[in-house]
Amino acid sequence: MNLDPHGEMLLRQYRELRPTLQQLADEASNQLRHALREQDIYITAMEHRVKTEKSLAGKLELKGAKYRSIDDITDLVGLRVITFYTDEVDKVAAIAKRVFDIDWQESVDKRKLHKLDSFGYNSLHYICRLKTGGPRFELQMRTALQHVWSTIEHDTGYKGDVKIPDVYLRQFNRLAGMMELMDDEFSRLRIVLTNYRRQTLALVKNGQLDDVPLSCDTFRSYLELQPFDRLNKRIAAVNQAEIWPVSMMVYLPVLESFGLESLGDVQRFIDENSDDAHQLALSQLAITDLDILSSNTALQYLCLVHVLKHNGGRDGLKSLYDLINGESDANGMLADMMMEQAKTLQFMQ
Amino acid sequence: MKTTIQEQDGNIVAILVGNLDTAVAAETEKAMSPLNDVEGKDIIIDCTDLAYISSAGLRIFLGILQSAKAKDRHVYIKGINDTVRSIFTITGFSNIFEFK
Repeated sequence: MNLDPHGEMLLRQYRELRPTLQQLADEASNQLRHALREQDIYITAMEHRVKTEKSLAGKLELKGAKYRSIDDITDLVGLRVITFYTDEVDKVAAIAKRVFDIDWQESVDKRKLHKLDSFGYNSLHYICRLKTGGPRFELQMRTALQHVWSTIEHDTGYKGDVKIPDVYLRQFNRLAGMMELMDDEFSRLRIVLTNYRRQTLALVKNGQLDDVPLSCDTFRSYLELQPFDRLNKRIAAVNQAEIWPVSMMVYLPVLESFGLESLGDVQRFIDENSDDAHQLALSQLAITDLDILSSNTALQYLCLVHVLKHNGGRDGLKSLYDLINGESDANGMLADMMMEQAKTLQFMQ
Repeated sequence: MKTTIQEQDGNIVAILVGNLDTAVAAETEKAMSPLNDVEGKDIIIDCTDLAYISSAGLRIFLGILQSAKAKDRHVYIKGINDTVRSIFTITGFSNIFEFK
C-alpha cells in the first residue's frame, strides 16, 4: 500500500485507537442487542467488527486527504442488524435512536436515494455515538434479502476496477428490483396472516367454532377454553386423582387423522363421545388406586372411543397408539389390552 | 425395592429392581434424588426388573423429568414390562417420556 505522510499519520492514530475501538464495538453491540431483546424484536443476525488495518489503508490510499483526523472516519467500528421484514428495519432504527446519539448529518437512508426507475443497494445507515461519548461508529440496518443482494454484489466485484457492461448492470438492477418486491410481499403477507390469526382467535372466543378451521394455532387457542377440563375432572373423580398438566398438542395430528376439519367438529367429537370415554376410563381406572393422571387423559379416552365406535378394531387402536406414542410393537399389546377391556362396555354392544 | 445409580457411556443410569409401590416410594425417591442434580448428561431409568409402579412412583419419574427438561436433557425409560407400560398408558403419561 502506498500512503502519503498524512495517510501514514492517520494509520498510526488508528493503531493507537484500536483497543478502544474493539471495546466500543463490543459495548455498542451489547447495548443494542439488549434493547432489541427488551422490545421483543426478533432479528436474523447482528454482526459487529472493527475495520482491519488493510481495509483502512486501502480507503486512505483512495481518499485519505478527505479526512483531517482519524475521528473523521465514521466506519472504523461497524454494526450490522439484519431483520426479517422491511418494517422491522424501521423498528430497529427507532430503538437505535433511543440507545445511541445519532449524527444526522452523516446518516443516510439509502432506501430513499434511488430514483423512481432505479433499484440497488437498500440499507439504512446511521452514524452513532454511545450516550457516554467516545468515537463514532456506523450502524447498518437492512433486511435479509437486502443483505443477500448486497453480499452477492460485493462478492462479484461489482465495484471493481473493470467496467461492467451495461447489460450486466441491468441484470443486477433487475434482481435488486425483484428483491425489493419480495421484501414488500413478505411484509404484506405477514400483515395478512397476522390479521387472519386475530380474526380466527376472535371467532374461537365468540364460540363460532364451525367457522374456525382446525390448525395448530386455532387448536392452541381452543385449548385455552379448557374444553377437556370437565371430562378430565369426571375421570379424575374416580380415584380422587391429581391432574398433571401436559401439552395436548400431540393429539392434533390424531384429530386431523379422524377427519375433523373445524373446531366445531372437535366440539361435537367431545360432546358425542364424553359419556363413553368416561365409561371406558372408569373400566380401567376404577380397579386401580392410581391417583395421578395427565391432563390429556380425557382426550386420550375420547380418541380411543372414537376409534372403537368407528369399527377401527385392534388395528385402529394400534395405529392410534402409534400416533400418540410413536411407532412401536408394544402398542400392539396396548391395543389388545384395550380391546379386551372395551368389549364389555355398553357402547360396544 | 433396590435402586442403583451409575454412569454408563456418558449417561446416568438408574436401575430399579422390584415393586415401586407406595410403601417404598419415599426411600426410592431418596435413592433417586441425585438424578435431580445431574448436569449435562441424559438420564436412563432402567426398568427391566421393575415389576410394578404406583402413582407415587409415577410422581418420582415426573419430578425427575421436570428437572431434566429444565436443563434441556432427556429422560429415557428402558425395558419396561407390559404391566408398567399399561400404567403409563391408562394414566395418559405414555407420550410424556421417551421409551427405549
